[in-house]
Amino acid sequence: MSRLVGSSVHRVEDERILTGRGQYVADVRVPGMLHAAFVRSPVPHARITSIDTSAARGVPGVVAVCTDDDLEVADMRLWGPPELLRPAFRPLTADKVRFVGDPIAIVVAESRAIAEDAAELVDVDYELLDAVANIDQALDASRSALFDEAGTNVLLQTSHVHGDPYAAFASAHDIVSLRFVQQRQGNVPMEGRGGVADYSPATGELVYHAAHQNPHQLRVSLAALLGHPAHQLTVRCGDIGGSFGQKAYPSREDVAVCAAAITIGRPVAWIEDRSENLLAAGQAREETIEVDAAVSADGDLLGLRVHMTLDQGAYQLTTLPSSIFPTIVRVLLPGPYRIEHLAFDTTVVATNKATYVAYRGPWEAETFVRERLLDVVATRLGLEPAEVRARNLLRADELPRRGVTGVTMEHLTARETFEQALDLVDLPAFRAAQAAARLDGRYLGLGMATFAEPAPGPPDYSRALGVGASPRSAQRAVARLEPDGTITVFTSQSPHGQGHQTTLAQLAADGLDVPIDQVRVVHGDTRLTPFNLVGTGGSRAATLASGAVVGVTAALRDRIVAVAADALEANLYDLEVADARVSVRGTPSAGITFAEVAARLAPDLDVAYDFAIPDGGWSQATHCCWVEIDVETGIVRIPRYLVVEDCGALINPAIVEGQIRGGVTQGIAGVLYEWAAYGDDAQPLATSFLDYLLPTAAEVPRIDIVHVESPPQGPIDFRGVGEGGAIGAPAALTNAIEDALAPFGVTITDQYLPPWKIVALVHGTSVMTRPA
Amino acid sequence: MKSAPFAYHAPASVDEALALLAAHGDEASVLAGGQSLLPLLAMRLARPAHLVDIHRLDELHRLEVDGEHVVVGAAVTQRRVERDARVAEVCPLLADAVPWIGHAAIRNRGTVGGSLCHADPAAELPVVCVASGATMTIAGTSGRRTVAAAEFFEMPFTTAVQPGELLVDVRIPVRRPGERWAFLEVARRHGDFPLVSVAVAGDAIALGGVAGRPVLVADVDAARDAVTAADDIHATHEYRRHLAGVLVERTLARAAAA
Amino acid sequence: MISVALTVDGHAASATVEPRTTLADLLRDHIGATSVHLGCEQGACGACTVLVDGELARSCLLLAAQCDGRAVTTLAGIGAPGSMHPLQEALRDSHGFQCGFCTPGFVLTALALLRDNPAPTEAEVRAELSGNLCRCTGYQSIVEGVLVAAERMAAE
Repeated sequence: MSRLVGSSVHRVEDERILTGRGQYVADVRVPGMLHAAFVRSPVPHARITSIDTSAARGVPGVVAVCTDDDLEVADMRLWGPPELLRPAFRPLTADKVRFVGDPIAIVVAESRAIAEDAAELVDVDYELLDAVANIDQALDASRSALFDEAGTNVLLQTSHVHGDPYAAFASAHDIVSLRFVQQRQGNVPMEGRGGVADYSPATGELVYHAAHQNPHQLRVSLAALLGHPAHQLTVRCGDIGGSFGQKAYPSREDVAVCAAAITIGRPVAWIEDRSENLLAAGQAREETIEVDAAVSADGDLLGLRVHMTLDQGAYQLTTLPSSIFPTIVRVLLPGPYRIEHLAFDTTVVATNKATYVAYRGPWEAETFVRERLLDVVATRLGLEPAEVRARNLLRADELPRRGVTGVTMEHLTARETFEQALDLVDLPAFRAAQAAARLDGRYLGLGMATFAEPAPGPPDYSRALGVGASPRSAQRAVARLEPDGTITVFTSQSPHGQGHQTTLAQLAADGLDVPIDQVRVVHGDTRLTPFNLVGTGGSRAATLASGAVVGVTAALRDRIVAVAADALEANLYDLEVADARVSVRGTPSAGITFAEVAARLAPDLDVAYDFAIPDGGWSQATHCCWVEIDVETGIVRIPRYLVVEDCGALINPAIVEGQIRGGVTQGIAGVLYEWAAYGDDAQPLATSFLDYLLPTAAEVPRIDIVHVESPPQGPIDFRGVGEGGAIGAPAALTNAIEDALAPFGVTITDQYLPPWKIVALVHGTSVMTRPA
Repeated sequence: MKSAPFAYHAPASVDEALALLAAHGDEASVLAGGQSLLPLLAMRLARPAHLVDIHRLDELHRLEVDGEHVVVGAAVTQRRVERDARVAEVCPLLADAVPWIGHAAIRNRGTVGGSLCHADPAAELPVVCVASGATMTIAGTSGRRTVAAAEFFEMPFTTAVQPGELLVDVRIPVRRPGERWAFLEVARRHGDFPLVSVAVAGDAIALGGVAGRPVLVADVDAARDAVTAADDIHATHEYRRHLAGVLVERTLARAAAA
Repeated sequence: MISVALTVDGHAASATVEPRTTLADLLRDHIGATSVHLGCEQGACGACTVLVDGELARSCLLLAAQCDGRAVTTLAGIGAPGSMHPLQEALRDSHGFQCGFCTPGFVLTALALLRDNPAPTEAEVRAELSGNLCRCTGYQSIVEGVLVAAERMAAE
């Protein structure tokens, strides 16, 4: 019987956060702490012919200036698949610079200001090389290779065939060919990256205070990259100011800061500023996807031929190979639809840009491409997009079904979300309003998008991806009965806005029938939390961490009740638990408090529980976006946005809705505002918030959310929801924009639609795809 | 992002300020509200060795109507102008344009003088001053001079104020009875620098964001032809040309309806 | 070096700093007021917003030297755990924030908004908060919290 679960209880962390008592990595203070700034390349591609740090070292207040030679560190590569070229690289680059922002040296000083003064005095000589600024230039074999070792900027080329696409195309009524372009975007959390490497030469212990989604992975990676014993290395995360996939790896800067601290023998703090964050922290979404779709006369999608090219920037991530992103796109592209034949070619190229990282729903392109394609097919055939969706969406009676890319779809309710959304949208009324508005010179549009995301997905999803470390590995939780009867729960999750401190406490408090303030959730400290290479990410927390906490709470409750039964000389089944006390039903005076139980249980106060779900579920949604476009200025307004979603049971509805709205906002932003632009010379153009635009409260619409209550898929029916908003929104919004601009015969294939592009599309003029 | 080091001065009189500015020449920057200067310092795009803070200069805090003009001292904050009932009454163009500038926190500190001297080609106040035929009073060690707004703005981020000189005030003509006026801008987000802005005051139509400084144009066609801004991350040249025409039309319609 | 003496959240504070030190860095590094957050150091994101003599200001766009003798209010000065301001309580009720990094600037900006306009419309709230960037929430929960706070504060 749940009291807290299912209700939007106050977040336990809010009183602290709202009164300014958060503890972010920039707030960490360690005695003797020094401050680091990086010397970063101002040019996109060059050989380094010399580095002179003497002037920098002479600045009063500077303690050290280190280049690659001065640090004891390994090659940054840890692992990756054999088909992906993964050239060696260093935390601080020594031979070449490969993007504007590439770190060359680390300056450590008494203050950040002094470190920046000295960084300007580090004299680097460059022999400039031709820049590789985009996919076309990367494919051009006459351009210099970024890595001599690789000899090419094409790092991966693979082909996959699922079903029999050739037969599908042979039988097609029509073939629709489109080339979709997603522009580079940045995760841009409000807090940049950072870390404080607290190294003690006396003990050899390194405590790295970090803002990070995967503390255990960071620890293990740092130990390997630094050659530092893991038992002398701890990672501690406090409050984290957002991440969205950016603070999820051992970064080159993390390694350099730790190595510098060890070399110098003093604690070193590095707090990334916004300019570094926009330049070097990581970017995403830059993919070009060519699609040929074989369609029947009635709008069935018979088969797809796809070529996806991903621009991974210069350097790879140490713990996440760039090849994984197109793999996920390929595997998920059919989505909740009846697409039975797929040919998918992948190319990954290196360019002189920042590293491509995972960004909230990194496979979002599959929904963008598929949902845009469905609308274009509908327009070409003179059908309503809703009709084409209804035709192609899998029905309940077709499930369970093994999709063509090897993923079993069961308990999928994507179609149900679509049907409910359609009811709420009242399409006929909208079409009437749209037609009337056009007579007035007003352009209204409606777009929809339906998708499903593995949250965490069925067992064959990991196999289809071909990854080694399964994203569905067991998750452990530990529950401790404290001597005073309060409860501590230890989780591998690393919350950075998702409220796990609260949702997991809700589960534990319900499980033990205690008030929520009697439960504390501990996260982020690798000495205390259960080991897991994957912390938070990939929409896993809801299911796996919840399952672990529910399980460990039940196990602790059993242990408490067993002790109580013994102490009270009562039968287990005659006992009831309430308010941190176990008593005999009907005889409340015959009872024992949790504290008294703890005294009896000591030292066995900890219980561990491993949750490995054999069959993970899907989250799905249909997004509906209404727009009104001023075709003279190109400004797009969103008067209404609706999400009809099914992510199973909700632990805390307000938290779930916050996640959805945040994701939708990022998806909208990716269409209307955000472009991590580089010129044709690979110079970054959006290096401050004046140029990299995030929408404000004045631009973001109200987002209505309807939860579809489908039958539970098991006792732990909390499914991941963190990424869905960002996955569905770009498709829904671009569909709406194309719908609004239908009188102009516009076909939208770019994700980035700022005002000038809308106007260019309306006028049928050529459109600037890259700034000169 | 921390500034390069500088010395800070807070002179108590205009003469003292001018002496400091003369002594340090182009190694000195005037600090008014700091809302445009401090970001440049933080990014080390500007590295003056000396900052001369003008907030103690009483004369530069003058805000009054002297019959024909609203006299706005260089250190008067945008927020003070925004809240002044008299300004709203006699110079509605100015009153209407100021709330478009950034956000409240910026306008609380940002000054009229600072915005004019920063001379961002997209800023609102320069466009209003050019449209209304304002005049700027500039002080130097050899005395004071006045410059018409149309001549005050020379190039992006460059005005007629020379090293060693100090803008003292701007005099904006009050609206003549029956004179049409309107201000409109198009920006990507609320509070952003406009992509294009238009100020109408009587027969004058001024455009901002389309060239290196505000330009006066006769009509919609002239507005398009006046656009010299190149493609940048926020807009193409073609778009600004198109938008200039659209916005001049809309602003004139608004001025007629007022 | 410059000596600066000011009041922070009602307490006297002083420090001797380089002239280039911003108010934000003075507060964070010399006075321990770490509720002031740096999101951009350009004045664009609003996270560092404080009240100076009761008026909103970006602390990253003020020099410490300009604040001698001033009274600065940060988020920590608005309310404490167990005795929160009605605005803080309303934002907790509305689940206003997620990661909390933008929160200090938002709360102070909303406080100033409600002081100047005690019964704002949703559009006015959104316009006044448009100088504060949030990456987590999509703003709806923040706007709702501010509107609820307005109602409750008017009823007092």
